[in-house]
Amino acid sequence: MRRDPLALLALPGVGYLVIVFLAPLLLLLYASVRGPDGFSLDGYARVLGDPYYRGVIGASLQLALITTGGALLLGYPAAFALARARGTTQVVLFALIFLPLTVSIIVKSFGWGIVLRRDGILNWALLNLGLIERPVRMIFTEGALYAGMINVFLPFMVLPIYAVVRMLDPRLPDAAATLGASPWFRFTRVTLPLSLPGVVAGVSLVFSLSVAAYVTPSLLMGDRYMTMSMVMAKAFLNLRDWQLGAAMAAVLLVVALVVVVGAAALQRRLGGR
Amino acid sequence: MERLGRIVSVTALALVILFLLLPILVVVPVSFTEAPVFRFPPEGFSLQWYEKIGRVDGLLSAIGLSARLAALATAISLLLGTLAAIALVRGVVPGGAAVTAFTLSPLMLPGLVLGIALLQAMREIGLRDAWWSLLLAHVVITLPFVMRTVLSSLSLFDFSMVDAARTLGCSYPVALWRVLVPNILPGFVSGALFAFIASFDNYPVSMFLVDVRTKTLPIALLNFIEISPDPTLAALSTGLIVLTIAVLFLCDRLVGLRRMASI
Amino acid sequence: MIKAHLAVRGASKRFGPATVLDDLSIGVAQGEFVSLLGPSGCGKTTLLRCIAGLLRLDAGSIAVAGRDISALPAHKRNVGVVFQNYALFPHLTVAENIGFGLRAQGVGAAEAAPRIAEALALVRMSEFAARPVTALSGGQQQRVAVARALVVRPTLLLLDEPFSALDRKLRETMQVELKHLLREVGITAIFVTHDQEEALVVSDRIAVMRDGRIEQLADPATLYQQPASLYVLEFVGQSMRLGGTVRAAEAGEVMVETRLGAVRAPGHFAAGSQVVVAVRPEAVSLGGAAPGLNSFEARVSEVSFLGSRTQLHLDLADEQDSGMVELARLPAGIGPGSAVPVAFPVAETMVFPAS
Repeated sequence: MRRDPLALLALPGVGYLVIVFLAPLLLLLYASVRGPDGFSLDGYARVLGDPYYRGVIGASLQLALITTGGALLLGYPAAFALARARGTTQVVLFALIFLPLTVSIIVKSFGWGIVLRRDGILNWALLNLGLIERPVRMIFTEGALYAGMINVFLPFMVLPIYAVVRMLDPRLPDAAATLGASPWFRFTRVTLPLSLPGVVAGVSLVFSLSVAAYVTPSLLMGDRYMTMSMVMAKAFLNLRDWQLGAAMAAVLLVVALVVVVGAAALQRRLGGR
Repeated sequence: MERLGRIVSVTALALVILFLLLPILVVVPVSFTEAPVFRFPPEGFSLQWYEKIGRVDGLLSAIGLSARLAALATAISLLLGTLAAIALVRGVVPGGAAVTAFTLSPLMLPGLVLGIALLQAMREIGLRDAWWSLLLAHVVITLPFVMRTVLSSLSLFDFSMVDAARTLGCSYPVALWRVLVPNILPGFVSGALFAFIASFDNYPVSMFLVDVRTKTLPIALLNFIEISPDPTLAALSTGLIVLTIAVLFLCDRLVGLRRMASI
Repeated sequence: MIKAHLAVRGASKRFGPATVLDDLSIGVAQGEFVSLLGPSGCGKTTLLRCIAGLLRLDAGSIAVAGRDISALPAHKRNVGVVFQNYALFPHLTVAENIGFGLRAQGVGAAEAAPRIAEALALVRMSEFAARPVTALSGGQQQRVAVARALVVRPTLLLLDEPFSALDRKLRETMQVELKHLLREVGITAIFVTHDQEEALVVSDRIAVMRDGRIEQLADPATLYQQPASLYVLEFVGQSMRLGGTVRAAEAGEVMVETRLGAVRAPGHFAAGSQVVVAVRPEAVSLGGAAPGLNSFEARVSEVSFLGSRTQLHLDLADEQDSGMVELARLPAGIGPGSAVPVAFPVAETMVFPAS
């Protein structure tokens, strides 16, 4: 086989990633089974066996599920409205959804804290509207955490769905109508199935991002809601327990991989039909 | 019923946009408050917090560091990424699809995992310099963003246009410059933009690689929040937001936000 | 007068400042095939979408089989549509596409299955039942689209440029095949097309449309031989045309002064009117003056050999005029630049007001 000289252009980039990305990851996996006396599965035993750490894994999954569900509920119809907009309006709306992505997660979480404080904007509005008599404690509640997470990850749900919905052929619902399909039937049997690739992309993206959340939970809940990432950070930075941290990291990696591979497989099935 | 669907979707969009902008917008008025608290509505009007940005220990140097880091990492990624994209689109790379997926994979992994892995690796090889560790790490972070958009641009590009330019009298390099570059510019610019932002705002990876003297902005911000939060944060955040909007505007002028949106 | 199966009365539709349908009325009989023929922008597709219920009329009414359907939404009208690019559902198989309307209308699986099989057999696509529609060729997709529309037994079938996505050879085959199929089913069909040959092949009557109005509604032969206006003449079939001024008018005949000579034709026009005289190419021959014939000399600009016939393109005085003589064989000595005598019967010469 003749070697294509053009293909060599990929060498610097790919080579870089192999050295600086793949190798360290493999090293990490190795560290997860390297105990003080050589090979040991102690790290995994603790991470998967200890009820505390199991609880943390469960908490991370729960957080990811709620965040993904909330983002889907809000983001799905919003993506349709965005796709239906025309001209300058659409560009502006798109920019408004894109802008939060460019703002640092720290700024956003911090801003969310300001919104929720006892002397913050939400309490101020509720008081002035006469809906409550005294400021309500919202900060450091799980509700606030979920809202904050959804706030951070919502654009990652809206944009992939929007990308698919705007490509939908408008004549397909028309054709369904001429065949006697009611508006509801048209939505559930034509529009919804055809929007699924976008939904899969959005759901997998938001889930894999939110299951690894660190900044938002630590800013909004602190140690009261421990996620896998927070355990990892603690293990490495504070406890210097390499094996534990590496094992937790491996678990997180597996979860992320399952989501990515599962989504890709789903996409293939959806696209192939 | 169709109208109901329309109402639902428009309401959802309005709610989404309001919800997304709320924490960002609330920061702005707070930055102008007179009192050193985060009360809303803010009392008085003062620019003292903006002034204080320069005086807070390490804040300005963190901004400078993050900016330099992001710029350098983005530049390196643009180079490595564009070369790789050309190879993948125009050349025959063994296992092309797998290679493409590999170059995009850092995006799909939790940043913290990458940070830990790199921390470990740096220790193993004895690299203690925070700046170089950060730079190496940030190239890994930014490369997929560049690859994604440049690959997409390149694969959409019709190379027969370059041939056409050559039959009209341009040499190969000139044809590439005149025809290829303007057409993949949106991919370039949006990739660079995403890459820069990803690097500048990065926390999960940087968090493990900074040291006392070398702090990126997100780390410095978080330290500040933990130790002595006051509206200086709001002032800085407002400054960053304004800067981001300005950059988006600039990109729109240069390349067109609409074109970037479709990529 | 036959009671119309489809009766459109006074249909009007505006998009902003533009009037797309202008007080249009048309009646189609049961089992008849009518084409709406016209250039893009004449309103034919808009009319189709209004009949289907995908668009609302601003004024006027639509009735099918005596029932006013103007206020009904599309899914309650039972009007079938075959879309230009077929609009097949990409996430469903052939059989699922065809069965879609039955499912939407609540027909149970037991009753639906034989009807789907029947529809598949009707369009000769039975082996493709389980195929995804994205794997089909253009002609196959069209057949599925027709089966899908017919299986729900619509009262009327609308077809929007159904052959435009097919290549030429396939187009001609499918036109005949579809016409035959629809005749067999006995359904009333309305075609929308910009291709006059297609309209001539499939239609019992053709409505030539212009700017939201029907210029002429007639069977193909009448349309061809007795076009109501210059527009219809130019749209349907070819012709030789010359501009001129009426010099004399008497006894139902006018004498028109053209740049190439005097031309006589049956008609009623005042002297001094600006007119266009025209004649169909099959009436034109190479020959000199004779009683009952118009004749003049013209220069040949181009010769086109088309196998079964040869076309001589004439260089008439004006760019507005056009002329062509069709011959079975090119006579010796005639080529580009030759001067030829052109003759055609007065009785077959048409006169129209210059637009």
